[in-house]
Amino acid sequence: MRKTISFLIFSMVFWCSSAACGKVYIDINSPAFQKFPVAIPEFRNLGNTEPGEDLSAWFADQLSRTLNITGFFKIISPDAFLEDQDSAGITVGEIDFSNWSSIGSDFLVKGGFSYDGKNLAVEFRLFDAIEGRFLTGKKYWGKSEEKKVMVLKFADEILLALTGRGGVFDTKIAFVGKEGNNSEIYTINFNGSDPVKITAYHSITLSPQWSPDGSKIAFTSYKDGNPDCYIRDVVSGTTQKVSSFRGLNLPASWSLDGRKILMVLSKDGNEEIYIKHLGSGRLQRLTDDRAIDISPTWSTDEKRIAFVSNRSGSPQIFVMDSDGSNVRRLTFQGSYNSSPCWSPDGTRIVYEGSSNGRFQIFSIGENGDNFMQLTFEAGGGESPSWSPDGRYLVFSSKEDGRERVCVINANGLNLRVLPGIKGVESFNSPSWSRHLDLY
Amino acid sequence: MKRNSIFVGLLVLIFGLSLLFVSGCATDQAVKSETIKTDAIQADASMKDILADETAKSKAGWVAFQKEEAARKMLLAEAAAFKDIQFAFDRYDLSPEARNMLGGLADWMSKQAGWVLTIEGHSDNRGTLEYNLALGERRAEAAKTYLTGLGLAEKRVTTISYGEEMPLDPANNEAAWAKNRRDHFLLVLK
Repeated sequence: MRKTISFLIFSMVFWCSSAACGKVYIDINSPAFQKFPVAIPEFRNLGNTEPGEDLSAWFADQLSRTLNITGFFKIISPDAFLEDQDSAGITVGEIDFSNWSSIGSDFLVKGGFSYDGKNLAVEFRLFDAIEGRFLTGKKYWGKSEEKKVMVLKFADEILLALTGRGGVFDTKIAFVGKEGNNSEIYTINFNGSDPVKITAYHSITLSPQWSPDGSKIAFTSYKDGNPDCYIRDVVSGTTQKVSSFRGLNLPASWSLDGRKILMVLSKDGNEEIYIKHLGSGRLQRLTDDRAIDISPTWSTDEKRIAFVSNRSGSPQIFVMDSDGSNVRRLTFQGSYNSSPCWSPDGTRIVYEGSSNGRFQIFSIGENGDNFMQLTFEAGGGESPSWSPDGRYLVFSSKEDGRERVCVINANGLNLRVLPGIKGVESFNSPSWSRHLDLY
Repeated sequence: MKRNSIFVGLLVLIFGLSLLFVSGCATDQAVKSETIKTDAIQADASMKDILADETAKSKAGWVAFQKEEAARKMLLAEAAAFKDIQFAFDRYDLSPEARNMLGGLADWMSKQAGWVLTIEGHSDNRGTLEYNLALGERRAEAAKTYLTGLGLAEKRVTTISYGEEMPLDPANNEAAWAKNRRDHFLLVLK
């Protein structure tokens, strides 16, 4: 895809990139963040031929949906539009910005397309409607079926222009889908498109964990009777059994270089945490305690590991150095805290904890500071996993006894439920990939 | 059988007479044919004995089989009568009822040498899936440790945890959760 669409920045971005010229971006992760109000009127047909479908409305609608999914935009309803769309143009000189600022739209996206029966050329422009300024623009050429990718790419440009960083449209979420007592691994794109069934073992299959380059998923399956650990190459479709000791063989987080994986094995009588070196197969045992030690997660610099242990009586989050030394308890609030996931910026750890009989998502600094509750939904939250940019969390939540996969912004706002899959009753254990080469 | 031998005899007689008609050494052939006839009758008699013997044997076998089947059914019923044991939330210590049940199980297995046991540990669906797998494992191991403590050979017991993956009752309430936090015992005759 990347190669098939040629694109061109057809006008210079007015603001140069962030710090160099002192541009200050709004902290979109702050609880006080107000969504960017943006209006996206229908795109103009700039060509002489009709595309055979209503692309004017399609582009406006698709871009609105895509920006809405990010959780950072308030899409202004077309009902409020004052501009005469038949006469208005798509460049600064042709737009009366008061038509937009007066309806509360701080930002405006305008676009146009032309279609020659085979190829599509699309222009997108983002404006600051308050100051009447052009912010960024792109023109894409491609085949008609690539129009969705063009929208995703420009949505990424809008995020980059307004927040200093692009989005996570090029990421996927892996999760477990349950049908009766059977469960399989699935993946889905961040925007909820393109669900893919990865396994079909008709057995119990659990705990998907993306490799850092997104080419592999580690998981546990009972397909041969015992809960053994497998690695699926999602590119070639091959699967390798990597650990089959008696008892539990559970994968956890991968190292950034993809050469090591944290694992939980109970081969020696109880659950202990190991580093498995995938090249040599060597196991390095990190914990040695009669209690349950489980669910390890590496810090971004891989110097420390957070994990769950019930060595103090109930499950709590502990932190240790990556060689297993210097173990200290991190959580003291509540009687059940588990499933830690270290944030990509390394500053905090999210986990699930019991609160008034439900499990909710909390976050805490590595030193026990900045404790906060992130979810308050009736369905609760379990098994949180960070997006690679640290702006979102994915987790599972119960509704009518069934679990679904939800995404929230890192500030706890803007809950979005990922779409279901036909025939699958319940979803859990989401794992967010890093940036992939999707588009 | 009888009709067959008469038929064979007749055939032999005709054959013998025809030989008499064509050759001078017919008498010997006819005597030989008599021998065959006798053999046939003897064979018939011994077949009867064999049949009678077989019937008697198979009758005895059937009775024995019936007995074995009844005993096997009884053992299977006994093996299946060992009920699940329950656990408190986030716990894997054995209750007095659980110990009582396991005592009976150890006793039974000590008398039934050919049987092996798989203990399946389960949890309810609250909390983390991975931690629940550990809880299931601990619950199964707790029962195994208790049984081997009572003298059961370790090699006769295996454990497996299914965590929250195989609930007895999929409902989300206290009663269902209590049912689901369990060890299930699977006895198999090796």
